Amino acid sequence: MTQAAQKPSRPLPRPLPRPDVYVETTPFWEAAKQHKLLLQYDTETKQYQWLPRPVSIYTGKRTLEWREASGGGQLYSWTLSNVAWPGHADRAPYMCALVELEEGVRILTNLYNYEGVELRDGLPVKLMWETLSEEFEYPAFEPA
Amino acid sequence: MSKRDIAIVGYGETPIKLRGGRSSYELAGDVFAEIVESTGIDKAEIDGICVSETMSETANPFWSVYMSDMLGLSPAWTQINGLGGASVIGGVARAASAIRDGLCNTVLVIAADAQSSGGPTEQGAYRWEFQYPVGLFGPVGAFGLLSRRYDIQYGLKHEALAKLAVTQRNHALMNPNAVDKLNKPLTEEDYLNSKVVSEPLRILDSVMVCDGANGVLVTSIETADRLGLERRIYPRGYAELTNFNGDKSTPDITETGFSVVGPLVMERAGMKPADVKLFCPYDDFLIAMILQMEQIGFCGRGEGCDFVLNTDMSHTGTLPLNTGGGQISAGQPGLAGGGHNLVEAVRQLFGDAGERQIPDLPNALVTGIGSIPYGRNWHVSNAMVLEN
Repeated sequence: MTQAAQKPSRPLPRPLPRPDVYVETTPFWEAAKQHKLLLQYDTETKQYQWLPRPVSIYTGKRTLEWREASGGGQLYSWTLSNVAWPGHADRAPYMCALVELEEGVRILTNLYNYEGVELRDGLPVKLMWETLSEEFEYPAFEPA
Repeated sequence: MSKRDIAIVGYGETPIKLRGGRSSYELAGDVFAEIVESTGIDKAEIDGICVSETMSETANPFWSVYMSDMLGLSPAWTQINGLGGASVIGGVARAASAIRDGLCNTVLVIAADAQSSGGPTEQGAYRWEFQYPVGLFGPVGAFGLLSRRYDIQYGLKHEALAKLAVTQRNHALMNPNAVDKLNKPLTEEDYLNSKVVSEPLRILDSVMVCDGANGVLVTSIETADRLGLERRIYPRGYAELTNFNGDKSTPDITETGFSVVGPLVMERAGMKPADVKLFCPYDDFLIAMILQMEQIGFCGRGEGCDFVLNTDMSHTGTLPLNTGGGQISAGQPGLAGGGHNLVEAVRQLFGDAGERQIPDLPNALVTGIGSIPYGRNWHVSNAMVLEN
């Protein structure tokens, strides 16, 4: 409390997602509320892609549908951020990671609950969820 | 671009300042006036303009038109390049094409950005949903992830990064245009002890965002002859690639567009990496230079750190590196940063580099990098060979 009182101004809140500002992502965020991670799936080439795009990155066609991911994956890279992006000052340092999902895509994510675990290439990780607000559940990962 | 029919006939550069408080137009005015005065050209002869997109003025959808107005130019051809640090050499290549196509004769390729004095800009797209809530610290975070992955695959030798930092700092100390704040000697220990910002990345791995401007004047040999412009540097090879691996979901993130652009620019210039006598790679982060050395072909994949440790890259060495200090030690003039290393190469080839001059320099290789995508390395890679 004392520390907070000394701060000249309130820190910025953690940024909340803004659905549908670049492609239609409302289905993703609706599913996230149910703790389901949706990925775009190209029904023609039978491959997943991440992040969401207006067309298949494999063919340029709009043959995309949302499919639920298993939630399993492996650590591909990670960086402990000692400097905070605006809105993240109160949780620094925090771990950012690239996780390779079983569906064959990589996702940029926060990694939690890794204390006592030696981080390494290929470390099995599993999906978890962070509550950012009443509206937004946000995907994150932790060691499996 | 293998012919010697197009030349760079002049250049200009402002000092690089941290929060200098002068606008992009004022900075561009300095560069333009320097080019007009140093070449003696009648400005009515300049009938093309190619402007780099900025951070400070990006809200203006008529940027090249306003710049023409501010500089009193009436161009027959204009271009805005939104390629970040790849915009300036990309501008020289586009100017050459426009001149060859008869659209114009003489082009001002100019970049000015008061990024450190301006307000924040917003790239939008997926960032609000899939990057900002995670808190990845922009390019610093992205290069933290890239550095970790390089370390996993090849082993990252921090002493090689330290050597690069010191080599470029020593060059910046000889460059009067380098930013004041970095105008002090640096040791390898200073680098190794600097703050770790996004593990394993240190603060001295990256650029300091500043303000500044730079530019070159590009024309045909016929026009140069007609105007009596005798100082000429020839762009001899160019290659560019955007969104490398853009159709892959799990690419090796340590493999960049330079794995394509590097060999291509060497082939187009009829050279091998061993023929390069001045190397001016885009240096937003130290490791970006190591990746470029490997993928252009100065050494094999994963051998970049050893190549650095075994090569004298000072201005008197076997492969001089960014003799103006590079952006990392001279300061990054916002999105005009790609022009800093280009202007240094032109200055060296003209023989204007003063105490850091490389004697009888025959050529230089200049590169550019632009924009950081989600989960990969960088969006734009380009490279240009310049010859005397």
